[in-house]
Amino acid sequence: MDLSVRIGPGTLPNPVGVASGTFGYGSEYEKLIDLSIIGALYTKAVTPEARPGNATPRIIETAAGMINSIGLANNGLAGFKTAKIPYLRTLPCPAVVNVAGAKGDDYARVIEELADEDCIWGWEVNLSCPNVKTGGLALGTNPAEVEQLTARLRKLSSKPLIIKLTPNVTDITAIARAAEAGGADAVSCINTLVGMVIDTKALRPVLPGKTGGLSGPAIFPVGLAAVYRVAHAIKIPVVGLGGITEADHAVQYLLAGAYAIQIGTANFIDPTVHQKVLDGIREFAALHDLQTISDFHQFID
Amino acid sequence: MAHIVTSVLENRPVAQDYYELRLAWPSWAPAPQPGQFLTVRTVDGPVPLLRRPFAFSGFDRADSSARIIYQRRGHATTLMSAKRPFDPFDILAPLGNGFPDPSSGRRPILIAGGIGMGPMLFLAERLAQTPYPGILIIGARSAQYLPRVVLSHSVQTILCTDDGSAGRKGSAVDIAREEIRQEACAPELYLCGPHGMLAAGHELAEELDAPAWVSMEQTMGCAVGACMGCVVRVHGGEEYARVCTEGPVFDSRTIVWT
Repeated sequence: MDLSVRIGPGTLPNPVGVASGTFGYGSEYEKLIDLSIIGALYTKAVTPEARPGNATPRIIETAAGMINSIGLANNGLAGFKTAKIPYLRTLPCPAVVNVAGAKGDDYARVIEELADEDCIWGWEVNLSCPNVKTGGLALGTNPAEVEQLTARLRKLSSKPLIIKLTPNVTDITAIARAAEAGGADAVSCINTLVGMVIDTKALRPVLPGKTGGLSGPAIFPVGLAAVYRVAHAIKIPVVGLGGITEADHAVQYLLAGAYAIQIGTANFIDPTVHQKVLDGIREFAALHDLQTISDFHQFID
Repeated sequence: MAHIVTSVLENRPVAQDYYELRLAWPSWAPAPQPGQFLTVRTVDGPVPLLRRPFAFSGFDRADSSARIIYQRRGHATTLMSAKRPFDPFDILAPLGNGFPDPSSGRRPILIAGGIGMGPMLFLAERLAQTPYPGILIIGARSAQYLPRVVLSHSVQTILCTDDGSAGRKGSAVDIAREEIRQEACAPELYLCGPHGMLAAGHELAEELDAPAWVSMEQTMGCAVGACMGCVVRVHGGEEYARVCTEGPVFDSRTIVWT
């Protein structure tokens, strides 16, 4: 079968990507995983200025999940250019830069300054980080702002533009339609769900920021339902993520209408998950005689 | 660093709630050094979800095995305590940076508190084979938390408990202070244990103008440097350093002690 995925002007070799924030910039995993099998590597978020990230602890495990509050810790644009770009040039898979910021200008600046880098396949615009005070989630919950910002970023680069959606809204399809109207080539969903754990001995939230972003198997059905609804509301491709730990989960996302998927938290747990998911997608396609990824979409109305 | 699917050789209690697990070490895998750690996937399913980090407590090239000491205190470690010989053991290892050798002319003083004994036992055994064997001081709350493990005769060991129920009464750092005074040596401190003990060890090192190496702990996500989860605050250019990658062993002067 043809596993390639077309997103706007770009093509990914296969639908199995690795989610932003869970895979660094690739180098962290090169000793454990054959990076050439990765369909798309979504980098740790890049903001214009370097960010140290949030106070600790930043991670807490929950039932079949984990809550993180990293706070977009990254080296900033300057650090990204000197420390990360040279590595991305050697990457054997497409690199999608996850773009974040506190305001529209920040997102625009990251894309503007990196627009001519040939080693960058495309952009994933993080309008959904729950762990920073401004930007991220705050920007991504208002359809009018999402459309306006998408349209602004669209003009800055001809590379594929993917808007990453938050599930922390009443109607995720409204945000997806806004991204489509603004000229996005695809949307990815879902980012983490806002979650919280309280330490009943210390009588305070475990995370200093009180709440964080829930990921892992616990959110799989939520992500799947969001992808199903979004895929049936817009015409541009949907990249599905949330709780994928095995091939069957990825197949479910494709059946629900996704063209590609991202593996996130499972990267921390199983270095063989990418190969297993890729193999499982191939096996399912062979079993049902599917030729392309869009053939997965014929079963669920 | 490698993904190693190996098997359990032995899993035995060594103190109240403490276990030592010996695992087969494949010949192709890099040898772990004292201070380095592994992360283990305790189940195939989603609960517990994340891999759990444990410091190596020993490595034996001759019989191709490595050891960890862990405390049974939650779901994951309870599952681990039920592992039997031949059970599969799925790890990422060896991870992080180990303890450096002592500087020339300095006497290594190894200070372990509670579950921090694992890497200190490993380091003590390693140093016993060098011209600069140290003193190993193991502190515990009370007698039942002291490890029943056999050390080489060449390792000079002092046991102490908070309640005086075994060994000398007092904290491991206080005992270290007394020993250093008696020996009138220029020490180099190595510490692994609770945060408060590490901070006290750092203060002692400052008093003595001696170097101190501390093994830091933090809730960990990926353990390979990608997720930025397991950071501690440090002095210098960056505000935070990753325990899994820049650590877990740090020069105590780089840590922001709170």
